[in-house]
Amino acid sequence: MAAPNYDVLIIGSGASGGMAAYTLTKKGIKCLMLDAGPPIDFQNNRVSKPAWELPYRGLGKPGHLAHVFQANEYNANQWVDEKQVPYTHDPSEPYNWVRVRFVGGKSLFWSRMSFRLSDYEFKAKDHDGFGDNWPISLADLAPYYDQVEPIFRVRGRKEGLKQLPDGNFIDDNTPWSPAVQKFIGEANKRSITVTKMRSSLGRGQLASSLNLLLPDALATGNLTIVPNAVVRDITVDKNTGRVNGANFLDRHSRREMHAKAKVVIVGASCLESTRILLNSGIANSSGALGHYLHDQFYITQSVQAVMPEVRNKTAPANYASGGGYIPRFRNLQTKEKDFLRGYAFDFTAGGTPDAKFFPLYGKALDDALETHRGTGFSGTCMGEVLPRFENHVRINKDVTDAWGIPVLHIQTRYTSNEFNMAKDAINTMSELCRACGWEVLARHDQPFPPGYSIHELGTCRMGDNPKTSVLNKWNQSWDIKSLFVVDGSSFVTGGSQNPTMTILSLSMRASEYMAEQMRKGEL
Amino acid sequence: MKRRRFIQALAAAPAAPALLAQQAPQAAQQPAPAAQDGATAEPAPLDLSTPEEGADPVLGFFSARQFATLRRLCEMLMPSGQGSPGALEARVPEFMDFLIGDSPVDRQQLWLSGLDALEYQSQTRFRKAFADTDAAQADTLFAPLHQPWTFEPPADPIARLLVAAKQDVRTATFNSFERNLAASGGTRRRSGGGLYWLPIE
Repeated sequence: MAAPNYDVLIIGSGASGGMAAYTLTKKGIKCLMLDAGPPIDFQNNRVSKPAWELPYRGLGKPGHLAHVFQANEYNANQWVDEKQVPYTHDPSEPYNWVRVRFVGGKSLFWSRMSFRLSDYEFKAKDHDGFGDNWPISLADLAPYYDQVEPIFRVRGRKEGLKQLPDGNFIDDNTPWSPAVQKFIGEANKRSITVTKMRSSLGRGQLASSLNLLLPDALATGNLTIVPNAVVRDITVDKNTGRVNGANFLDRHSRREMHAKAKVVIVGASCLESTRILLNSGIANSSGALGHYLHDQFYITQSVQAVMPEVRNKTAPANYASGGGYIPRFRNLQTKEKDFLRGYAFDFTAGGTPDAKFFPLYGKALDDALETHRGTGFSGTCMGEVLPRFENHVRINKDVTDAWGIPVLHIQTRYTSNEFNMAKDAINTMSELCRACGWEVLARHDQPFPPGYSIHELGTCRMGDNPKTSVLNKWNQSWDIKSLFVVDGSSFVTGGSQNPTMTILSLSMRASEYMAEQMRKGEL
Repeated sequence: MKRRRFIQALAAAPAAPALLAQQAPQAAQQPAPAAQDGATAEPAPLDLSTPEEGADPVLGFFSARQFATLRRLCEMLMPSGQGSPGALEARVPEFMDFLIGDSPVDRQQLWLSGLDALEYQSQTRFRKAFADTDAAQADTLFAPLHQPWTFEPPADPIARLLVAAKQDVRTATFNSFERNLAASGGTRRRSGGGLYWLPIE
């Protein structure tokens, strides 16, 4: 019996692919989903282990996952092994490509920070003249954010900020701790707004495609999921010029297979989607495919301070607890001299600073840590990275992965705009801490290598002009109408906000458009 | 004190009875009734041990002199005290010999050059091996650890070693079997730690 010719083939099962399946199958469209990774079982794939039972006492296997700063000995098996799926870069331009290959994709492990982009991002060129506008505005995407947020159960507080649009929130009415109130007071004096974190609560232990999208899609009877399917390329009917499926290899046996479909949706994550398209030799009449790679630069523990009033447990219980979010405040009404765009901070109060920050060792260090228990205040800086044509990926035909598929060469670097922005961010946060009477133990104003935030974006960007963009405003290939790309690669700019809510909303919007086009017989 | 005696002494420390008492209900449990159908009975999990519990490591990466320097370094960074095994009792020097020997070349070089530089400075300033320095002398050489922390590692080989060793020796000590045994009053507790992802096929 020959395999069916599906209405839609979806490559990838994470946030974007999962949302495409969720949307299309409810409209009666028959979908086949391929994912390069295996299914995951949170009950049986994890065991509780004391650190002394680990071969490297928790320090991790040396040299393993060198680009994955998030890896440790406990979670080492959750990341893609770079030896199995390599990529290349110039040694002087490191790139931390952090990958997950499971059914559910990166949505299994994301930080859950859930924001909308604003027209400061969608219409960024109008605001400061750099780069390009998106072909859509917040008004176009807002109806989809409205639907996505309840699915992921986003908790937040409405603030009425133009640069961080409110959403369809579960109201967060928790009070600020006194220490955070003090911080907010100092921030507000400098016209810096502090908000509650906006975060996906999900259901149970997860806020993932695996538990929030795929079960509903499967329940329609219209979705077939094939795990362990490593897609090599998308195939095109030479007579019609339309896509007609994809070639893939079974992850275990390396057996080659071909899946048939009338429409193909690529949602394999920004760089994997781009790699598939480049290896397929399609969708690149503009020459923009693979270019404009950007993300957000992250600096975790960029400022580490201690609150003296909490030392030796002298402060009341819950004096220092909780955290918050500082949305972008630079280059909104005013114009900075040294950089375009802006940055955000995620901060927490009440932890104990890491031992490395104290200029002590031995018993004196142990004593200091005890004295400073619960005194910590730290902030993670998240800054917008400008999309630039020259920051790009291309196929390196000299290197292949474990399935014989050519890998990506990544060529990207941050520029003075990002470095100047980071300096301003850390100076500002340090000043705020000192104004609160807190002691700054350490500060760090150098971004981690590109890729570290796991928010890679932009390499199949949308646009109004087929000569300068890969996709139209519906995430549809300019070159092949039956090809859609629905993940973060479609972004034009990324802002400083976590992109997941926007990826989900774009995927839902594109899928609804696609379903309507299919109904009309246009696809 | 020999390592085994040290651990036995810790197990007999005053904190032990209370913690052992918490384990009592488990020890008093009745054996599970035999399954009706032996073919479907799940075997009880065995109480297995790690290699470090049952054997001594074979050293091989650091030279004898470097290892002696390393032992003193570990002893200074994580001394024992108040019922807690320090780095020596936790066999951290032996573990570091394995870890660094299994590491990429740049990390190996950091440790090798740092230990050699520490020994050289000790010989130059105190005319004795670093392994034989007293606490005040060693502390003089540990001046970089009294400087504020910086994200970029220092260029000086001793400073680089000290910054790296402070983190690694501390973690290796805290995550040692010996430290866990002492903290649990001499019982081998397997709970706690974290959720470990098994390799997924």
